[in-house]
Amino acid sequence: MKSAGSQPTASPIGENAPRIDARQKVTGAAVFADDIQFGDSLLHARIKRSPHPHALIRKIDTARARALPGVKSVVTGEDFPGHIGLYLQDRYIFCRDRVRYIGDPVAGVAAISEEIAQKALDLIDVDYELLEPVLDPELGIRPNAALLHPDLGQYVVANFIFPKPGTNISNHFKIRRGDVDSAWGQCAAVVERKYRIPHIQHVPIEPHVAVAKVEESGEITLWGSSQSPFAQRNLIAQSMGISQSRVRVIAPLVGGGFGSKAGVSMEALVVAIATKVRGRAVKLLLTREEEFYTAFVRQGLVAHFKMGCDAKGRLLAMENIFYWDGGAYTEYGVNVTRAAGYSSSGPYEVPNMKTDSYCVYTNHPVGGPMRGFGMPEMHAGLEQCIDELALQVGMDAVEFRRLNCLKTGSTLVTGSKMHPTGLPICIEKTAEAIGWGKKAPPSAPNKRRGKGLALMWKAPAMPPNAGSSAWVELAEDGTVTVGVGGQELGQGVFTVAAQMAAAALGVPYESVRIATPVDTRYSPYEWQTVASRLTWSMGNAIVNAAKDAKRQILGTVAEAWGETPEDLEIVQGVVISYKSEKEIPLKNLAIYGLPKPNDQGWRGGPVIGRGNFMPTYVTGLDPETGQGERAVVHYTTGAQAVELEVDLDTGRIEILRGVSAFDVGKAINPGLVEAQMEGGFVQGMSSALFESLNLKDGVVRSPSFVDYRIATTADAPKDLQAIIVEVAQDDGPWGARGIGEHSMVPTIPAIANAIYDAVGVRLEGPPFTAEKVYLAMLEAGIVK
Amino acid sequence: MALHEIHVTINDEPEQVAVPANMTLMRMLREKLALTGTKNGCSAGECGACTVLLNGEPVNSCMVLAVECDGARIVTVEGLADEQRLAPIQETILSEGGVQCGFCTPGILISAHALLQRNPNPGEDEIREALVGNLCRCTGYVRIIESVKEAAKMQSLAG
Amino acid sequence: MNTHPTLPEFDYLRPRTLAEASEFLSRHPGEARPFMGGTDVLVRMRDGFLTPRFLVDVKGLDGMNELRFDPRAGLTLGAAFCMNRVIASAEVRTHYPLLAEACRSVASYPLRTRATVVGNLCNASPAGDTIGACLVLEGVLHVHGVHGPRQERLGSFFLGPGKTTLEAGDVVTAIHFPLPPKGCAGVYLKLGRNQLSDLSIVGVTALGYPDSTCLSGYRFRLAMASVAPVPLVPVEAERHLASHPITPESLREAAQLAADACSPIDDVRGSARYRRLMVRNLSAMALARVWNRLTG
Repeated sequence: MKSAGSQPTASPIGENAPRIDARQKVTGAAVFADDIQFGDSLLHARIKRSPHPHALIRKIDTARARALPGVKSVVTGEDFPGHIGLYLQDRYIFCRDRVRYIGDPVAGVAAISEEIAQKALDLIDVDYELLEPVLDPELGIRPNAALLHPDLGQYVVANFIFPKPGTNISNHFKIRRGDVDSAWGQCAAVVERKYRIPHIQHVPIEPHVAVAKVEESGEITLWGSSQSPFAQRNLIAQSMGISQSRVRVIAPLVGGGFGSKAGVSMEALVVAIATKVRGRAVKLLLTREEEFYTAFVRQGLVAHFKMGCDAKGRLLAMENIFYWDGGAYTEYGVNVTRAAGYSSSGPYEVPNMKTDSYCVYTNHPVGGPMRGFGMPEMHAGLEQCIDELALQVGMDAVEFRRLNCLKTGSTLVTGSKMHPTGLPICIEKTAEAIGWGKKAPPSAPNKRRGKGLALMWKAPAMPPNAGSSAWVELAEDGTVTVGVGGQELGQGVFTVAAQMAAAALGVPYESVRIATPVDTRYSPYEWQTVASRLTWSMGNAIVNAAKDAKRQILGTVAEAWGETPEDLEIVQGVVISYKSEKEIPLKNLAIYGLPKPNDQGWRGGPVIGRGNFMPTYVTGLDPETGQGERAVVHYTTGAQAVELEVDLDTGRIEILRGVSAFDVGKAINPGLVEAQMEGGFVQGMSSALFESLNLKDGVVRSPSFVDYRIATTADAPKDLQAIIVEVAQDDGPWGARGIGEHSMVPTIPAIANAIYDAVGVRLEGPPFTAEKVYLAMLEAGIVK
Repeated sequence: MALHEIHVTINDEPEQVAVPANMTLMRMLREKLALTGTKNGCSAGECGACTVLLNGEPVNSCMVLAVECDGARIVTVEGLADEQRLAPIQETILSEGGVQCGFCTPGILISAHALLQRNPNPGEDEIREALVGNLCRCTGYVRIIESVKEAAKMQSLAG
Repeated sequence: MNTHPTLPEFDYLRPRTLAEASEFLSRHPGEARPFMGGTDVLVRMRDGFLTPRFLVDVKGLDGMNELRFDPRAGLTLGAAFCMNRVIASAEVRTHYPLLAEACRSVASYPLRTRATVVGNLCNASPAGDTIGACLVLEGVLHVHGVHGPRQERLGSFFLGPGKTTLEAGDVVTAIHFPLPPKGCAGVYLKLGRNQLSDLSIVGVTALGYPDSTCLSGYRFRLAMASVAPVPLVPVEAERHLASHPITPESLREAAQLAADACSPIDDVRGSARYRRLMVRNLSAMALARVWNRLTG
């Protein structure tokens, strides 16, 4: 879709306003964190990491490293006793007594060059005492499994997370609703399946990077590629026992996040290292290999599904057990466990539900937030079981979903009611666009063609009080600057922020700027750029700030004209009166106010609009039943369908067509919404066909692009359709809700269902590599 | 390590730089010349974020030693536009919406620009093949491919 | 793997003559390496597998940057002639299209600006995409060593993964291909994980040409990538094709013989079992395609 032309945009809501950040990206002028020039005094950091998945640290000797010329600082966990973590403070900045995954940071070095810092690592001697590793969550949960966190009971934890001290379970979320055991008896069809979803990684094209500088006074400045400057400020300050006001985080453009750059990971390391070299900036840039497994990864999942329906295809019961392979530290991942728990019915109405969602410590890389936050992993198996159930009871897979899917007012797995939703519309449009029910012949005798469809739902997973704020200021020439704390990751949030500010204030889109880079010293607070929450939450804050500024402006002008503000409006940067038809542009007015007649003084003054937004209505859920008044703020729902071919000679899958339809409430910028649907589809497709960290014995066997394959231009389908459905969200700006994550959620099961349609095989989990598909076909007798 | 004095022309400007043997062209551009448009995505020749033109042909600059570039002509993303105008591919990637996070964009632009120089009217498959070494995680590539088609049209109209 | 953020330290030399290069390399065995496109060497250095003290840049020497076709003698491809130029060369496209096809399957366009066929051969990875074409086209390496120039046949060149018969002081200056057999047709089928790019899970090169000494009147040459410690020529399969009429049956049998000749391993890219099956399937496909082109 082409962007709007050069005419000033009247009301930019719903327009494809041109991206506010794109021109600098095409000229090479855009500044990312590794591009910031710090001068010759910049030091470079490298991290000494554990080579073992599980071991006690007996001794660390850094003397030889310290003595290497050019080395300015060597730190270990000895100097940093504070725990750190978002929902559960279960890790140290540097390991102190124990290492829990291959890659766990044991020591850090700052030197005048990366080469010298790297050499210094080899001069650090660490004595380990090896411990039995836990490499599977179903084994880690057993009573005799090695205990990874003996102090689990002492960790500070959010009140909606339920760890089990004395075990490796860092969170156990339960749903107990209705009577599942009796319900099986009434089922005409029951499907029981186990799915194994491997660890994958976000693979942002920009690796993690952070620069820290600690002044003599102890004030800390952290520059970084970050989705969460305020969360990083908070978590690092808390861990180091200092005031948040003494930590300043500056976050320029992010070269892809997908959740990997949320919370705190490697940033704390470089801050710690910098505390020992006061007055000098220290940079830590992860190699691509480190990026694959030492910051955040997406945790693995072993999921047991059991679901049943009656003869008419009505879902009656589900009993689902999720064993999340949370990794060495689950400070963030515990909430994935919870989110999957309260979403465990999928986007369906199911009267009887029993869910146990366990977050299990393993000696694997750290599972954290990745696009979808547990939803892709869960839907991967759930949506396949739905297809199987439909087949068993003789119903078309789309028909089955039409019958059971959530509608406005449906009762949800947590007991509350579904808000207005366009999910049924998404199903219709997707099925129609993919040509559901029609079978095209394969393109060659050695191919088989199939179609598959899957639904999804997801709520922003966050604390009940995650807040946003914004400010609005004007310059002498009437142009507007909006202060935000949310981050541009490529999703286009700066653009929609400007669109919303422009619409709410009444100025042309082109006259609005966003105050960048986000800087915790000057920018207003934003919880994090995650959860597909910014358009909705930060959008509301921006609208409130713009309205606040408008109120001040209209108040001043009303007073000057002897009118009431209700008769005034701001249109295209001009204050107009509907009553008197008087007009005055915003120029100068928003700074200097307006003169009183006869040189008798002035009225008004510098306008500064402020606004915030925080949901006030999210309630807790009963720890035993998972039931509550309102579990989440809202859900985005949607559907995807694919048409693909399977090559009978190799097992290779080729995706011919993809269709997505999501209910976004209101598309503030339709082109950007479509772009999210396209990008998410391809990332989902990539995770379905290619991606796995290939963990074995705690080792990531695919820690580089050579063997961790992602979709390239040659793999992207030739036909990708993105359909916007708009059923307004009651408290969203213009009815908007999020889309960033959702387009990656249903892709794995849509593809799996299409493979089944093509050749009649299902696999235990992605990636659906050519080998797996071929060997499955061989076993099924489809090929010889 | 000894330093080698090299003379290069970068975006039509002559430069004289002293580089150690183990400094890649990518690092020289970013660290010695503050030309940070060229990005470091993997340092292993896999992701294409560091693609520049070396004597008119695209290379992964992380796989070229700076010291090999004595006497060479380099073009980076900063050199695609002239004083007045963006290159066609820069215009169309903007208008088609092929930029999201922007980190892969410089490498994509260089590869696409080079494609259009050697093949002014590429078909869809040729575009995909030419860009297969430029990884993007955000866009799903559809709009990038469209923008190359549009740039080809733009170029042929310009004559 | 011990991947560093930067390349380790080394000295870079650019000798002016082959003799100078050869002499330096032989005086520093195990410490000095010839350096051309760097697409293998630099990666291995960064990963900590190679730590040469000297990289000796031989790209500009003695015709290494040239390609010459002689209508009687064949094609001499300079060692430093990059793969993109091979693909674009009219002589290659006309007389050795299989070589262009193999080059085209490698990595990506920017990488092929640096990668070379000779480099691919000297790296001696069993996955090398151009090695099969060089084998079936009977390429011969021109090597300049301390004792002067010599030739190396590819059949005996590969000793194991990453190991060749080259010694300290050797610089490969070119690969020479005799004129291809009249009326030949060839294909390279590569199975990777992505649709394009990627290293091969399995690669099958097949060349067929009229030969009255064969029962069917046609002879086939085959080479397999990524299924043995060295690029593999399945001799039994070739013999089978030479001594039988060509039918779907005999092609299938030959394909099975090719699969039987392999000794693939399990690795992250694929299992041995799958590789064997794919050699069988891809060989059958490759032979069928070549046969169709030969017989119109």
